[in-house]
Amino acid sequence: MAESKDDAAPKGRRGKMRDAAKGVLYGMAAHGHVTAALRTRMYLEHLFMFITLGDMLGVPVIPPYYSLKILPYAVPNIKSWKQRVFRERDFTDQVF
Amino acid sequence: MVDIQSTPFLWVVVTIGLYAVAYWGYGKWIDRNVWRSNAKKATPAHMYMDGVEYFPVSRYVLWGYQFKSVAALGPILGPFIGITFGWIPALLWIIGGNFFIGWLQDYGAMMLSVRKEGRSFGPITYEFTGASGRTNLLAFVLFYLIIISATFIALIAAFWQAYPGTFLATVGIFAAGVVCGQLLYRFKVNVFAVTALGLLMVVGSIYLGVLVPVSLSGQPATGPRVALAVNLGAWSPAAWAAICLVFLALAAILPTPTFVQPTNYLAFYPAYAAIIFILVGALVTPFTNIGVQMPAGPFLVDPQGIIGPIWPILFVAIACGAISGWHSLVSSSSTSKQLDIETDALPVGGGAMLSEGLLALASLIAYMVLAPSFFVNHNNVASWVQGAYVLTSPFLGGLTQPVLTTFFGLVLVIYAITVQALVTRFFRLVASETWSEGRFRALGHKSVATAVGLGVPWLFAISGSWWALWLYFGGANQLLAGLAIMLITIHLARVRAPTKYSLIPGVFMVVTTLSALLWETWIFLWAVILYTQGTTAATAGGVLNNVRPPLNTQANALYALIVNGVFVAVGAVLFIVGLSMAIKLFRSYARSRAEARAKVVAAADGGKPGP
Repeated sequence: MAESKDDAAPKGRRGKMRDAAKGVLYGMAAHGHVTAALRTRMYLEHLFMFITLGDMLGVPVIPPYYSLKILPYAVPNIKSWKQRVFRERDFTDQVF
Repeated sequence: MVDIQSTPFLWVVVTIGLYAVAYWGYGKWIDRNVWRSNAKKATPAHMYMDGVEYFPVSRYVLWGYQFKSVAALGPILGPFIGITFGWIPALLWIIGGNFFIGWLQDYGAMMLSVRKEGRSFGPITYEFTGASGRTNLLAFVLFYLIIISATFIALIAAFWQAYPGTFLATVGIFAAGVVCGQLLYRFKVNVFAVTALGLLMVVGSIYLGVLVPVSLSGQPATGPRVALAVNLGAWSPAAWAAICLVFLALAAILPTPTFVQPTNYLAFYPAYAAIIFILVGALVTPFTNIGVQMPAGPFLVDPQGIIGPIWPILFVAIACGAISGWHSLVSSSSTSKQLDIETDALPVGGGAMLSEGLLALASLIAYMVLAPSFFVNHNNVASWVQGAYVLTSPFLGGLTQPVLTTFFGLVLVIYAITVQALVTRFFRLVASETWSEGRFRALGHKSVATAVGLGVPWLFAISGSWWALWLYFGGANQLLAGLAIMLITIHLARVRAPTKYSLIPGVFMVVTTLSALLWETWIFLWAVILYTQGTTAATAGGVLNNVRPPLNTQANALYALIVNGVFVAVGAVLFIVGLSMAIKLFRSYARSRAEARAKVVAAADGGKPGP
């Protein structure tokens, strides 16, 4: 995944051109696949969170004992999970 | 060196020059004065960063991604029909369409999505036109996807039929994709090693295709003796289309890392190598003595009497490369969520579109250097391969004609089949959205939706009327572009920015594309009307003219009539849904203008101008 502009170290003209060429090649060949892989992982994480926190949402997927055992691994993801799950989604989001 | 004016070189230079003016002149002006992009304004990539959908990405990466997402078979095949009216009108549309409309739509769609918190066109349509507008959009997209699928399936079948070496080469690429997917994801082999191995397998596939051509219409007249050949006669395109469905069904149902993703990744390399070869071939024509052979035109009506008048047909025949509605969906889907700063929208959205114009130009040149005999009856849809061979063989002379034609033929197939695999998956998602509940919920099931999304297009594809499908596809695609530009215009009106730069192109596109859909529907309807007046050979001629083998015989006249009737129905639905959508958007625009004016008056009177 490419970095944000803020993270880029100052480079000479040749270095910038090389980075640009690498970026274009990566963007053409792999960026879409990387994004797709990230989305797949996102859906698996949603499933994991749902299984873990299901009983707290009123859907007892696994017994609370195991939920509590897994909870420490789930807690760091709760914020981004909430953000993603509550986001408005549409079929036009699935084009690419 | 030959006379520069008789080669395509001059037109390449002129087009590049005008595109440069479009980007650095008109583009920068619009960016500064209409959208007023601001590098300091937080984009959705920063506001909602989650590392999955929203995260900032360098403009170079996004440009590559955007270009790869928008550049496919459209800019390659559109000019094949466009050149019917002479190469000058086709060239002028590629230049003018992109200059005034094409880049503006891609860039505007991206900016609109960025300003609307990264939302895609579905929710934006809902906001501007209400629930019925979004339902219209959904219905329109469903038909649009069926038409795209039919077009691409028909074309893939035509390519396999025209170049027997391409079938095994395609199978080889699929096999290489599966192997590479396993190595990459299951055995965690280094990506560079996997890429090298995959590319070796791609090269091997091309040679395998050259050595063992596969034909369903009898033994190839020329080529090696080892050929897998059966003779299905007139049914061979239908059989090729059925074989294509098998691959597409696998692509739609199997997990993406197993099949689609690694195959698309490997297919990228030969596809883009071919583009570079052709562009270089066009630029060196003064040195390779390759001159323009096609007539310059303009012809106001198709001289062969098949396609119709230059307006509106040319403007829907050449879609991608001049303007394409599909791009608005791409621009507002992933790219806008990953834009680092607002000022990147011009190089990413506008720049990628103008670059795609160069791809359309390269393809037009590949047709310009061919003899007019290649275009008789518009049947030789794979003639781009011959043009590419003519342009590149002088500097790729070490490779034989069978190798080069198999390579370029394979490129056509993989452009079509990789996009079609994505379209089939997208159709499945849209179908499940549309029919997730209610009486027809069975249609939303994964397997049923895939079967419908492939079966219905296959029935269209075997009609053989690929040019009619292409024009329907172009009409629907360009109409989507017109609607997208109207959405952009509504937003600009709401924020009281200048609207005429997008309103005029929007109105032009909507009127032109609705006219094109009406024209095509009328062609089929007229044939049906003629048939209903009697079933003699003369009256059946209309319905038979609109189809290709095996349906264009007197014995199959009834089937031809049914195909014509279905085309009438599809054209009518596309027209009605498109018209309804256009009316909603124009009304919304008028409302937005009135509200904006009222706010200005209120502000002038000392009242609050509102949010």
